[in-house]
Order: sequence, then C-alpha cells, then structure tokens
Amino acid sequence: MAERQAAVAAELAKLRDAYRARLPREIAELADLAAELDGAAEPREGLADLEQRLHKLAGSGGTFGLNALSRQAHELETTAQAWLAADFATVGLAQRRAFAAAVAALAGTLAQGESTPGAMGSGGADSAAPADAARHVRIWLVEDDASLGETLVRLLGQFGYEVRLYQRVDAVEADVRREQPDILIMDVMFTDEGINATEALMLRPAFQAMDCPILFISAHGDFQSRVRAARLGAEGFMLKPLDVPMLVDRIERTLDERFAAPYRVLIVDDDVELARHFSLVLSAAGMETALVSEPAAAIDTVAAFHPELVLMDMHMPGCSGPELAMVIRHHNEWIGLPIVYLSAEKDRDKQLQAMSRGADDFLTKPISDAHLVAAVRVRATRSRQLADLMSKDSLTGLLKHARIKETIAIELARARRNNQPLSVAMLDIDHFKSVNDTYGHASGDRVIKALAHLLKQRLRKADGIGRYGGEEFVVILPECDQETAQRVLDDIRARFAALRYQHEDREFASTFSVGIACTLQLPAANGDELLIAADAALYAAKHGGRNQVRVAGGSTGASLG
Amino acid sequence: MSELERILYVEDEPDIREVAQIALEMVGGFTVKVCSSGEAALREAEGFAPDMILLDVMMPGMDGPATLKALRERPALAAIPMAFMTAKVQPAEVAHFKALGALDVIAKPFDPMTLADQVRAVWETRNG
Repeated sequence: MAERQAAVAAELAKLRDAYRARLPREIAELADLAAELDGAAEPREGLADLEQRLHKLAGSGGTFGLNALSRQAHELETTAQAWLAADFATVGLAQRRAFAAAVAALAGTLAQGESTPGAMGSGGADSAAPADAARHVRIWLVEDDASLGETLVRLLGQFGYEVRLYQRVDAVEADVRREQPDILIMDVMFTDEGINATEALMLRPAFQAMDCPILFISAHGDFQSRVRAARLGAEGFMLKPLDVPMLVDRIERTLDERFAAPYRVLIVDDDVELARHFSLVLSAAGMETALVSEPAAAIDTVAAFHPELVLMDMHMPGCSGPELAMVIRHHNEWIGLPIVYLSAEKDRDKQLQAMSRGADDFLTKPISDAHLVAAVRVRATRSRQLADLMSKDSLTGLLKHARIKETIAIELARARRNNQPLSVAMLDIDHFKSVNDTYGHASGDRVIKALAHLLKQRLRKADGIGRYGGEEFVVILPECDQETAQRVLDDIRARFAALRYQHEDREFASTFSVGIACTLQLPAANGDELLIAADAALYAAKHGGRNQVRVAGGSTGASLG
Repeated sequence: MSELERILYVEDEPDIREVAQIALEMVGGFTVKVCSSGEAALREAEGFAPDMILLDVMMPGMDGPATLKALRERPALAAIPMAFMTAKVQPAEVAHFKALGALDVIAKPFDPMTLADQVRAVWETRNG
C-alpha cells in the first residue's frame, strides 16, 4: 500500500509540475484577452472564451493545490459570467480595465508560490518534496544611482533578502508581466511640473495590476510628494539619506501583514456534509480547517491542530456543544481559545444559557457564506492578536522573558530525548545606554529592532529568539554544537557591526557581545544553569573588550577571566 | 449485487482528467474510460458499458446536465448511476443536481487520494 501511495504521489507530482510550468503562459494569454476587452466593439466572443478559461483555471488550480489562484480565478469567472448574461456594452471602461488588471494580477498570485498544500498535499504528494526551504524574500530595487544601488543590494543582502537591481523603471515593466517580487522599492524624484516619467509608467495597467507592496525612497518628504506617492499605491515612503535598519523594519512589517499564516479553524459537527461545506467556504477564504464529526475526537484534534477558533454544533449525539466546550475549558492552555456555536437555535435565552458554559459567541444557521467568513475572521484575528500579545515582545515581535525559559525547558527535553546538542546564547548590545543618551530612545529602539530582524533573518525557523530584557537577547539553538553556534553568532555579530544608522545628520554604528553555553560541554545543566553559564560567558566577552563571542568553559567558570 | 469496476468519466479539462484518471485507476483500482466532452460520452458510453458515470457540470458544448439527460434516454444507460463533479456544492445546488437525476455531487477540487473512496461511497447509496 505504501508503495502504491508513493507511486501515485510521484505520478501526481509529475502532473503538477507540468501544470505549473504551463501556467505562466496561460495567465499571460488570459491577461492579453482581458486587455483586448478594453477597446473591442464586439467583445462577447473574447469574453466567453475568457470565462471558459477562467473556469478551467479555477478548477484545475484547486486540484493542484493552488488555492488562492483558484479562488481569484473563480471570482473573475463569476464577473465574466454576469457580464455575459447582461448587455456587455453597459459595462464601463473603468470596470473593464479593473477586470483586466485583476486578470493580470493572477500572475502575482502564482509568483507568490503558494506553499499551503491544498487538495494535492493532503494525500502526501508533498511529503516527498523537501519541506519548504527558508523562503527568500525577493525584492526588486529601482535605483538610478548605481553606487547607492549596489550598496543597498549588499546591505539588504545582509538581512537575507534576495535583491534584484534595476536602473530604469521601464525595465521593471517588462518583467512584471512574467513574475513579481515580494516587494518593489523605487527611488523616485517627483518634479513640480505635471506627471513625470515614473508616474506615467506606474499608471500603466501592468503596474496597476501588480499585487505586491511598493515602497518609495525619495530625497524630498514634502506633503505633495507623499500624496503623489500614495496615489501611486506606495505603502511606505522613506527619506534619503537612507537608514537601512529602518527600511528593513518597514519591509518586515509590510511582509508580516502580507504573509500571515492562514487562520486555523476547527469545525466540530456531526453533519458531515454541512461541515464539509463550511470547511470549503472557509478554505476558499484562505483559512486552514480541520473537521471532526465525533465530539470525543475533538480534544485530540485541538491538541494536534492548535486551532485559533473552534466552530461547534450545539446538538451532537453523545455530547452536546456546551458539554464539549466545558471539557475544552478544563485544559488551562485552552482557556483563551474562542469557541463559537453554530446552531439553528433561535431562542435567545437558550443561546445565552449555552454561552454561559464556556463559549464566546453564537452564530445562527442557516448562515450566508460571506457572514460565516466575516464572523470567523474577526474572531480569529482577535484571538491571534491576544496570543501574540501574551507571548511576544511588542517592540521586536520576539519571545518575551517568561516564554524564553519555557522554550529552553522544552528544547532541552527534546534535545535529551533525541540525544542532540542544544546551545543557548545570551546577547547584549554594547554601550546601549550611551546610544539612548546620545541619539535618543527612538534611535535606541531602531538598533534593537535591527538586531531582532537580523537574528530572525540569519537563524533557522526552529531556533528560538527572545528579548530577555532591555538590550539583552537570548537565542536557543537546537541540534547545534558550541562551535557551530560560535560561528553563526560571530557571523551575525560582524554583520550587525557593519550596519549604519542615521540620526539627523550623523551616522552611528552599534555592536553586541555574546556568551554561549552548550549541553555537550555542560551535560548536567538544567535550563536555568545553561542560561547562567551563557550569562557568565557574556560577562567574559564584555570584559574582554566587547563586540565578541565567548563560550562557557566545560568546568564551571574555569575559562572565565 | 455487482461490484463497481468500470467508470466512465467525462471532463473537458485535460489536467483534471489526468489527475482523476490516476486517482481512480491507481488508487481506486477501477477500469476507467475518459471522455473529453458530452458528445464523446454519447458516442462511447454504450460500447464501454460502465457501472457508473461521472460528469463534470460545466463543459463547452453539451454541459453535464445536458449530457446526463441525453445518456438517460439511451435504454442501455437509463439505469446507470451517474454523479456530477463540480465546485458548486451549496445545499440548494446539490438538491437541484439531484433533481436532475444525479445520485450525488462530488466536490471540486477533489483530493486525488480519497476520490476513489468518495466515488465508492456514492455508489453504495445507489439503491438507498
């Protein structure tokens, strides 16, 4: 059976690869067809062709796991259908253009390389493929000043971005039809008289159809320039001379909004058909769902799936919704998990009574798809915000103090189980107080954020990164021996020291010191003891002249100076 | 009672056709004949003598419902269980498709690993 599964997975993977390889061309053709609607006197035929092909794209895209693409194609198909049913001549030029832009934007959706396994993934077809490797953020930079361009490419490269440099904006236009970056950064100069060449280019359909955030860098930050940038769709506006850490912070914040992981929703309903329908609707809205038809199986699924919201039927055989909600609440770690009933119960008193037993809200069946999606999204968003607030540092988005110790304990237990080394490092920014005193707290915050971003970019996904206190950070490196930890952190140290920050007309730099403790050298240490050893090594690094990495000695304190 | 062995699958989209063929043949172990249009299905169906017919709903030319109707008019096929495959799975739409004479509706996009089980489950309901 396993052999057959593998054979099937291989066949399917082959099909999928061939399909994905064909897609860019198909989408380009669709975009051309849509663009022709603009001036065509008798466009019905083209529109009918377009509608058919969008329908195919919606169906096949979904089958091959390209869910976002499939969803967008389906929406466009619905629009085309409506236009075909009505009198197309009544459809205004602006609407046609918006439609053409949306069709062209499918290329961007495809380029974003959906990694969420859809229908194709659940069968294990994806398991043969390497797990999604550290995803490189692709940045396109339009900078006419060649030397500034090269400097930016190098500095942004330090943060792990893949930067493509263009000297002219029209060169970008040729490329955006085929692929799209994750972020476009443009150096622009707004002239006083009329629309300049950059603006004219950016108003063309290919640019308007782009589905990636645009950041502008400019020498002038006057209100008019900013308004013109906003009109062109700029999500950010950075002033020259450029503060690279600040630019990185902007990039990260923009990407966080874009690439937030899909909300995870657990649906508990004994009506399998209906549950499947809800699941389809929520998946189509970009959420990840798990279905449980047996209330008894719900607890295991909550533990394994980590839902951010539970959607639950009130009346189920064996165990009612309120009973199940209470069982979930028996677990301390799930007290904050939103539980929403979905039921035909219309009696408000009964609804309130049900909610008093552990649930947060009540949605009444039948419910429209749009209403369901909106209700779930609002609550899941709030749930995630609260979870982040509780566990993450507000300035850096890193783990908070309390979570650091917890993470070390978890990783230490895992390391012992798997007989793997674990390294813990403590970092402290050198002379941070004088940065604050000289350049102000806002500058200090920027230095802290820059270090946070650098750590996030250079370390692996599985590594834990926390802000321990003011300017102190802790890094938890599973399956990493002392030498590797030393090498990796020394590399980050050098990159951090090379960063330059702008404050008014002055430029300054910052450094940090590191102390490392590893379980190979300290086999008997518990989590707290590892931290203490790392702290002692950090102390040694500070006394050794700062801007350096030290490791904890095998015998307690022996190597400390 | 006979086993489900031979399936006629009508779908205009070549990519989905191939995935479904793999899903039904390799995973399900069925004997599958695929047709790329309703017209082709009308030509091939009687010769193939399927146990069950799966129809895509939206196809150029003859769509799924028209194909189902035409197939039902052939005496040899009148009693063959047929099911639609479509992305339209709202309860009202499903009821409509059933009223047209379909046994059930299989949702698209489907999971290639479980499609055969879904089809078998629909097949089991044919007399109930």
